[in-house]
Amino acid sequence: MAYMIAFHWGWLLGCLVLGFCMGWVAVVTRARSVSKRWMIALSVLAAALVAMSVLQVVPGRFGYWLDLLLLMFVPYLVGCGIGSQLRAWVVMRSMARG
Amino acid sequence: MRGLFRWSSKWWPGVVPLVLFWVIAAWSDTTAVEADLAAKAASAVKNIVLDKVKMSADGRDIDFEAEAFSEEGRHGALTAVADAPGVRLVNDGTRLVPEAKPFVWSAEREVAKITLSGNAPLPAVKGKLMDVARDQIKGIEISDQMGLARGAPVNFADAAALLLGQLGKLKDGKVAISDSAVSLSGMARDLGGREAIAAALKNLPQGFSVAANDVKAPPYIFYANKDPVAVTLTLSGYVPDENVHAIVLGSSSRKFFSEKVVDNLKTSVGAPAGFVNAVIPALGVLSRLSTGTLVVSDREVKISGDALYEAAAAQIHAGLAKEFPKEWQVTADISVRPAPAPVDASVCQQLFSDLLSKTKIRFLTGRATLDSDSTGLLDHLVETALRCPNATIEIAGHTDSDGEGAANQSLSERRAQAVLDYFVKAGLPADRFTAIGYGSTKPVASNDTDDGKAQNRRIEFLVR
Repeated sequence: MAYMIAFHWGWLLGCLVLGFCMGWVAVVTRARSVSKRWMIALSVLAAALVAMSVLQVVPGRFGYWLDLLLLMFVPYLVGCGIGSQLRAWVVMRSMARG
Repeated sequence: MRGLFRWSSKWWPGVVPLVLFWVIAAWSDTTAVEADLAAKAASAVKNIVLDKVKMSADGRDIDFEAEAFSEEGRHGALTAVADAPGVRLVNDGTRLVPEAKPFVWSAEREVAKITLSGNAPLPAVKGKLMDVARDQIKGIEISDQMGLARGAPVNFADAAALLLGQLGKLKDGKVAISDSAVSLSGMARDLGGREAIAAALKNLPQGFSVAANDVKAPPYIFYANKDPVAVTLTLSGYVPDENVHAIVLGSSSRKFFSEKVVDNLKTSVGAPAGFVNAVIPALGVLSRLSTGTLVVSDREVKISGDALYEAAAAQIHAGLAKEFPKEWQVTADISVRPAPAPVDASVCQQLFSDLLSKTKIRFLTGRATLDSDSTGLLDHLVETALRCPNATIEIAGHTDSDGEGAANQSLSERRAQAVLDYFVKAGLPADRFTAIGYGSTKPVASNDTDDGKAQNRRIEFLVR
């Protein structure tokens, strides 16, 4: 894990920024929400992928690519969370002023 | 928290560029990651003794192939690769180096090349043996055809190094180890090289034994030449030690009473067994020749030259089988020198006196048996007697004054008779000779000194 982070830190930083931007936009966008059923399905898929990665059942390069994908998802989600939280806070402050 | 959950349902559009990032990252970094991990895995095992190491990465999985020299080494190497940072899985392609039975190693020397072949237990031992070979024989081409195998006997490296040292003493040959049995063959570089190798093999490490030592040495040469013109006996070649050297010189000066002995002998080990017992009788034969050469090469004796008369040549041939040690090969190429011109009785007397002035006929102490050192002199006396066929000759025996008169009388008679018998055996007619003993009645010097006594013990010839 430490090796993966050290080797791909640039990409992971990119994912964090991407996530931050997405989170920032998500609070005010009118885009369609993902339905609850889809959320559950996606969560199951994510859990399955994590399980495959942890159990190291995918061999060779595919295993490495799976690990990389999951690893890149983490800063993305963290970025989204921080972005949305900050945007919500900014929106609430401007609404209170207005 | 509820807000975060609500917003997260709108995070999905970012996944599209995220996946794009992922594809680009995978595209650009995969080979770099693989190269980096393969290098890290290789460096993790660099201190572990392995052979035929192959390390390649497939993603973060390492395909590891190697031959290990022990089970512990194999496990250690696998653990080291698995523990290398970034490595996910190790595909184990390792195995143990095959075991050799019997464990065979050899080194062969040709004129300008040494070939090491067979098995070595470890790469380090292989390298060490190459270094030893280089040190032992400077400037020679060394070819390494050694493989690696398990199953070497304890102290293999020491034994192999010792054998390589012996290879330096060979002109050409081979040294080999098969399990704990050592064998050597070839030709030693120097005289005595065979003995030096045999001595060195005593230092073989415990557990090793010499199965075969077929090292040959250059022939051990002893050479003697009797030159009647220069009146010299030239000795050259080798004798085993100073003691034998003294024996050979002493015997030569007694046997060759009129020749000057030129000593060019050197001492060296490596003489064949029975060297003295063969060289002394061979010199005895040479002393009976007017001109001749003696060559001793290992256990082969070759004598050639001219005997003084016909019967002497026959006697020499007949004596060869008896006088030399067994296992020695003796060949004699003896011809007979043409008989010198006859002379009258007075010249004959002069010739006898001349010969006996140089030395005298020797007997074993207190006995009437002729000393073999006197055979050369006796042959010259016979030859002289042959030159005056019409003269009758009195052979007179004398003793010193030690002991009883009657005993001395008897001894002098028997000694004179012994000389007469020698003359008759040489083919001279018995009726030309009379053997007379005078005991101690006719001294030529004082019997008070040892020197005087020695002069009084004598055989005289009176030509009538």
